[in-house]
Amino acid sequence: MIQEIISSRIGEKCYKYIHSSGVTICLCPMESYSTVNAQFAVKFGSEDCRYRLNGGDVKTIPDGTAHYLEHKLFESPEKDAFALFAETGASCNAVTSYDSTCYYFSCAENFERNLEILLDFVQSPHFTPENVEKERGIISQEITMYLDNPGWRVIMELLKGVYSVNPIRTDIAGSVESIAEITDKTLYDVYEAFYNPSNMYISIAGNFDMDKAIEVCERCLLPRQSAQLETIACEEPYEVAESRRVMQMPVAKPQFAIGFKRPDADGQEALDEYIYLNTVMDILFGDTSEFYKRMRDSGALNDTFRVSVFMGRGYVLPLVTGESDDPDAVLSEMKKEIRRFKEQLPDKEHFERIRKMNYGYIVRGYNNTESVSQAMLSMELSGLSPYAMVEGVAESCYEEMCRRLLSIDEENSCIAIINPLDGGK
Amino acid sequence: MIYYNRLIVQSCLRSEFYISAVRCFKIYERKQIGEGIWFTRITDARFKVNRIAVSFYTDIDDDGYSRADYAIVPYILVDSCAKYPDYSALSMRFSELYGASMSDSTTIMGDSRCSTLAVASIDDRYALEGEHIEQDTCQLLLDCLLDPLMEDGAFSAETTRLMQSELIDSIDSVINDKRNYAAQKGAEHAYMGEPWGLSEQGTHAQAEMITPRLAYGAYSEMLRRGRIEITAVGCSDFNESERMLKEAFSKLQRSDICQPHCAPSILKSDTLDISEDMPMQQAILRMYFKAPEMDDRYAGVLLSTILGGMTTSRFFMNIREKESLCYYCSCFSNRFKRVITAYAGVDPQNVQRTREAILAEFRDVCENGVSEEELSRAKLEIINDARSIYDGVNAIASWYSGQLMDSTVITPEEYIEQLKQVTPERIQQACRKYSLDTFYVLMPEVTE
Repeated sequence: MIQEIISSRIGEKCYKYIHSSGVTICLCPMESYSTVNAQFAVKFGSEDCRYRLNGGDVKTIPDGTAHYLEHKLFESPEKDAFALFAETGASCNAVTSYDSTCYYFSCAENFERNLEILLDFVQSPHFTPENVEKERGIISQEITMYLDNPGWRVIMELLKGVYSVNPIRTDIAGSVESIAEITDKTLYDVYEAFYNPSNMYISIAGNFDMDKAIEVCERCLLPRQSAQLETIACEEPYEVAESRRVMQMPVAKPQFAIGFKRPDADGQEALDEYIYLNTVMDILFGDTSEFYKRMRDSGALNDTFRVSVFMGRGYVLPLVTGESDDPDAVLSEMKKEIRRFKEQLPDKEHFERIRKMNYGYIVRGYNNTESVSQAMLSMELSGLSPYAMVEGVAESCYEEMCRRLLSIDEENSCIAIINPLDGGK
Repeated sequence: MIYYNRLIVQSCLRSEFYISAVRCFKIYERKQIGEGIWFTRITDARFKVNRIAVSFYTDIDDDGYSRADYAIVPYILVDSCAKYPDYSALSMRFSELYGASMSDSTTIMGDSRCSTLAVASIDDRYALEGEHIEQDTCQLLLDCLLDPLMEDGAFSAETTRLMQSELIDSIDSVINDKRNYAAQKGAEHAYMGEPWGLSEQGTHAQAEMITPRLAYGAYSEMLRRGRIEITAVGCSDFNESERMLKEAFSKLQRSDICQPHCAPSILKSDTLDISEDMPMQQAILRMYFKAPEMDDRYAGVLLSTILGGMTTSRFFMNIREKESLCYYCSCFSNRFKRVITAYAGVDPQNVQRTREAILAEFRDVCENGVSEEELSRAKLEIINDARSIYDGVNAIASWYSGQLMDSTVITPEEYIEQLKQVTPERIQQACRKYSLDTFYVLMPEVTE
């Protein structure tokens, strides 16, 4: 049965149904647009490194397997997926995150054919010892490319410091060493376990005919025997693993990332954490804050300073990133600021401004087919309504924001620093 | 690709009104509203946002010495204004306007400098309390642009000091991103002696010399001599914004208006080979192929796409997929400078092999041409991109501003029609005009 979901607040409407195979499908026709964006995702990311299938033994897979599989799924005994999309003019790609893998295309023409190609290649693995070996060099170069990127490395170092056992402390692509262990059998095994329709999601937004999209899904989605999949989660301790991590790279000025560890959260609770902690971080440390003005005026921070909340399946982490000649002093000032606001809560007017700002950001996201498709998918992967985010922000209240602020443990934090090789200026 | 956070736009030169089968804009209008001041309005009700950008096109001096003076101007203008005298107060006002945002940029376009301030906001329809967001945001843009924080007939000394420090940090930070660093250093060698080759931000040393008066002098020149292009894209009719902008800009004293211009890049008599070391893991190479005599814009972009602009390109299929040499190996064309730039990240021991492989693909097109099939794929790829332009306010604005130096303005549909006419023979002829001008490689430092 097709379910209609409406957000009267922003005048948006989308549809959802569960295919007989178990795949969840979200559809958002946007009539006057030129393009369509379609995403086919599986709830399988780099954090899913230990699992049990149908009650069998727990299996542990090499770091980087989900990402390796993403690369190899485009391959086919005849024309690979890239070649097939090239015949229609669509642009396609895939992305692996900690908690999911997503294959997608964007097109201005030939939507139904493109959808067929997408559904077909994701459901047709073709791994051989030769083609798996061939990919190793390409992925090794991708890993190496990220190793030269301080913006990426500082976040990786932060996650290593914050988490003791959570697999997100390991790089999504793994390492050159860990991917050396991946074989065609590894990939077939994990495909069998995770690429089950009940673990998969389709999200389509843009100028398309809904009946035709459903017809393609009905025709191309293959039934599969249901499998009992259990991913083995690790019990993450409350405290950060390390409070400080430092490394050196060729950078002009010390780079830093600071995170304040939070208890694990999922579903609606994770979304609430995300919304309120974003607001708290903006009030305390954002562009409108006294902290940022003071630190910027004194030259302790520059305009690279960003506040955000990092969120995925099971975890929420408020964090800041930036450049400073003295990152430890930035952390120290942040802790003081949290303590100060705990004693004297922010004023309600400031909260209202930030609430409007965040609401505006989300509305702006409903402006193109890719972001709409992505928003529906994100919410669905978290088991939430497609408009849960915009409703959550619009309905957010001052009292709950204060409660979340008071719950921040400023001492349970970690700072990751990348110092210049020559000690800086 | 990997991604770490899931949650994470009085004379009328050309006035058109089309509601057509090609899902075009409801209104596209372009008109002159002052001396050297042009207003372009693109209205489409499906958008939820409105974006207004004001760009100043100015000449670049040959020695590049005033680059930093100009580069700091947008920094200063988006930091504060007389009405909101610090960044915090200004940010507070933007947050009240539902997270309306102001962005700034300084770029080199052709051989001219383009300094832009742009504001974007959600449409009034989505205001929770019935506010007039578009007009208020436009007023804020004007406050920042035309009423900056002043002191003794120049920019505020404190604001200039702060922004100078941020500009210097930004100039120095190019080393952080090795791909950007390689792109900047490679361009310096490839476009030696040309405005295009130097960073739009200037150098650290030039930025050190900035004073409130020098920066204000650059700002005054922008207001007096800069060609001003205002682009409004979104769901609004922008009538009120146009009135506000026209009235505000009519007060400027304008004369001797700069005209954006561009010349093809000069081809060196011999290929320049440059290698630089840095403590890093992966080698990054950049190859600059120039064709000063190239006059076939459409064959040029298709050639670049066939070689390295899509996932079935020759570089991707042969250098990445068959040879497993790299994760990325691509190229792009600059139609104004008539240059195709190829770039790749590879293991240091594979640099020469990759260089030869890229050259081999150029040679093959010169000698054997391209197949109808690969030409067709490249056309489909570019056509898909061109049609996608209609779906984003930033993309639409960029499409039209990117044609400022052209004698005629064309729509994406007209562009597509021209692309469709290109034959394999034209691609081969185009390729024969290109020569390798500069080879630049950033190598991992060898430690004993």
